[in-house]
Amino acid sequence: MDAARGNLETVERLRAHIQALQAAPRTHLAVLRTGVAAVDALLPSGGFPLGQVVELWGSAASGRLRLALRAVAEAQRALRLAAYVDGPGELYPPALAALGVNPARLLWVRPSAAAASSPRPRPSQLDWVALQLLRSGAFACVVLDLTHTGHRLPPQACKRLLDAAAHAGGLLLLLTPEEAPADGSLRLRMEAGPHGVQVQVVRSRQGLRARSAHVPWEALGAWGAAPQDAGRLVPLPAAVELDRPFQRPRPSEVRNGRCGIQGQRPGRDLALPDLTSPRP
Amino acid sequence: MRVAYLHLPRFPVQRRLPLLAAAAPPGAGEGPLLALVQLVRGVQRVACASASASAAGVRTGMSLTAARALVPSLRDLPYHPAEEAAALGTVAEGLLGLSPASMSSAPDGFWLDASAASLFGGEQPLLKRALSLLQTLGLRGRGAVASELFTARALARFGGGRLQVVPRDASAEALAPLPLQALDAPVRDALGGFGLHTLGEVAHLDAAQLVARLGARGLRAQRLARGEDDMRFLPALVPEVVEELRVLEAPAEAVEPLLFVLKGMVDAACARLRGRGRAAVRLTLTLLLEPDGPRAVPLILARPSAEPRLLLDLLRHRLEDLRLPAPVATVVLTVDESCEDRGQQRVLGALPEGDAGLDSVLARLATALGPDALSSPRAAEDHRPETARARGPFRPPPAEQGLHAEARRAPAALLPDVVSPERPARLFPQPAALAVELGPAGELQGARLLGRRRAVLGLAGPERLGGQWWTKTPFARDYYRVHFEGLGPAWVFQDARDGRFYLHGFFD
Repeated sequence: MDAARGNLETVERLRAHIQALQAAPRTHLAVLRTGVAAVDALLPSGGFPLGQVVELWGSAASGRLRLALRAVAEAQRALRLAAYVDGPGELYPPALAALGVNPARLLWVRPSAAAASSPRPRPSQLDWVALQLLRSGAFACVVLDLTHTGHRLPPQACKRLLDAAAHAGGLLLLLTPEEAPADGSLRLRMEAGPHGVQVQVVRSRQGLRARSAHVPWEALGAWGAAPQDAGRLVPLPAAVELDRPFQRPRPSEVRNGRCGIQGQRPGRDLALPDLTSPRP
Repeated sequence: MRVAYLHLPRFPVQRRLPLLAAAAPPGAGEGPLLALVQLVRGVQRVACASASASAAGVRTGMSLTAARALVPSLRDLPYHPAEEAAALGTVAEGLLGLSPASMSSAPDGFWLDASAASLFGGEQPLLKRALSLLQTLGLRGRGAVASELFTARALARFGGGRLQVVPRDASAEALAPLPLQALDAPVRDALGGFGLHTLGEVAHLDAAQLVARLGARGLRAQRLARGEDDMRFLPALVPEVVEELRVLEAPAEAVEPLLFVLKGMVDAACARLRGRGRAAVRLTLTLLLEPDGPRAVPLILARPSAEPRLLLDLLRHRLEDLRLPAPVATVVLTVDESCEDRGQQRVLGALPEGDAGLDSVLARLATALGPDALSSPRAAEDHRPETARARGPFRPPPAEQGLHAEARRAPAALLPDVVSPERPARLFPQPAALAVELGPAGELQGARLLGRRRAVLGLAGPERLGGQWWTKTPFARDYYRVHFEGLGPAWVFQDARDGRFYLHGFFD
């Protein structure tokens, strides 16, 4: 009995040691861990494998982007570059810092920004951009966002991307909407629930460690200002007067009260107090 | 004034060798049997021959037919003196970083102003650097520094060493052992007829007798041999725009012959840019089609560069995607915009190719999509959420792969040390009006979203954002994070101006 317990302790110590080794920054990357324990435990190699096309498939608010940005942050922690191909043009830079993403090492490609005449990029353009980025071998992680683009990646394009990723050793994360799944080598279905996201492995060419996992919203990223309110129904404040027209405040109201900092009326400046004389 | 002369033996052949070697099949032999020929009175005559061809008996001035009879496998290319002089000028421009002025001595050498040699540690180091720069262009040569133009050129051509520096007032001693070939042809032949062999012997002749026999030409030859050259250094004009033009021998209908020509053009343009200490930012490749006229192909570089490999790679990609209605007769490569070349800092242990892959893909994307499509995300200092999205130039720090990088690995340094306000990762460019259901107490109970009614499962907020009341477009909004049924959290605001709810983004 004691021998068995001793073995278990040894196994636990080894497990902790392996986890510590895995947590250290690595020179030669093989896997990009998301940092979300439930998701990493679900993936066959303990994270998003490099040299593969991983598809995050789900609705627009199912946490796919945050999961992808966590992988980007992990690549940046290993001092590697990452690229984000913004098909819909919806990435919001102020949200990146909270997810640990260093904007200086993130290439933001917005094909729609260049073409002023057509706000939406051509679908083939998105595939081509991702292909070029992958083939260059300069980026450890490339995110191709196809949400709200109405574009379904054809199987031939997917095969080309898969070949490029395998050849250059980069990771391509495909963010595909519910209505247009692609053909990635690993596909995760993400469904938003009341308390978190249900992540399900729909397809995996490397086998399975588990079929699905539940990830609470807080695990995907810090909410920021008011985490304590997450998941709680809060009534609207009664102070909001819906019928009150927006009024421009008068300049005198902007100040502290209706007077200046020394109590003078607006427009009347008092002489500055003599700071050299001793205080009474 | 101190001048340096750089002699490039058989320059017209030398400059073609790298291109010929690239085009030759593997195992083609040691040296090409090449002759450059020009039409002289209706006869094709050899103007310059390669070392292998010369060893086989091919001589300058020989007719091409006679040369072919000697060497049946002789390859001939056309020789245009003006083109060779221009190529020599390009090489001299590549050395502008070492010397402010140059003077051509076509077809196989040029002088450089060596007055600023002290900046490089002396005249010998200056010559060394010049020759090593020529070596990077695939050219080998010899150099000499002297106080007179003739002395420097004669020593570089006929002196023994690869690098020679003649002190001031020691030109006569340095020139004395040189053969008569250093002089021009008519005087050289006449002096040879007198039984003279070296310049030293010419220098010791009696000047009066020399003038009596050969006239002013003889006196001038003696002054040259005594190191008393009075020829002035006339700096060549440096063109402001870096531009290379090539007329193809036959109109090209495929990419390969164009790339063959472009290789030489890009090499020359990059050498000229490097000589000026500049790097290209924007280039235009103009293809003159026959008979359709010019077709411009712009090339925008994401990062300034004077690397010929990178530029050629980008041009290759551009040309491969191009469909032309007619064959190309002439190619013009123009550097439209350049900037100071700051180079790329590498660290100890970094790979020698650096970020070549990154530069290449950035330039390719910038050319195809436009420079505005590539950026780095930035947060603008604006309280209105839709205008807080900004973009900056993508200037990643150099790839650190060496020992320095190992020492600098600090993953925690990238994490922010302040808690930023709650912002969605996905924000719509314009807010979308939302049809909502409010409860009796004014609470949000549901909304019609993505085609169906969705109940509100949770809500956090409000975060009140407002401002710009001094402009024509003020805003006052209460933002909420709303968890919708079957969808996930969304960023919704109620506008204080009209009281309506708007969907502004998703916490995707």
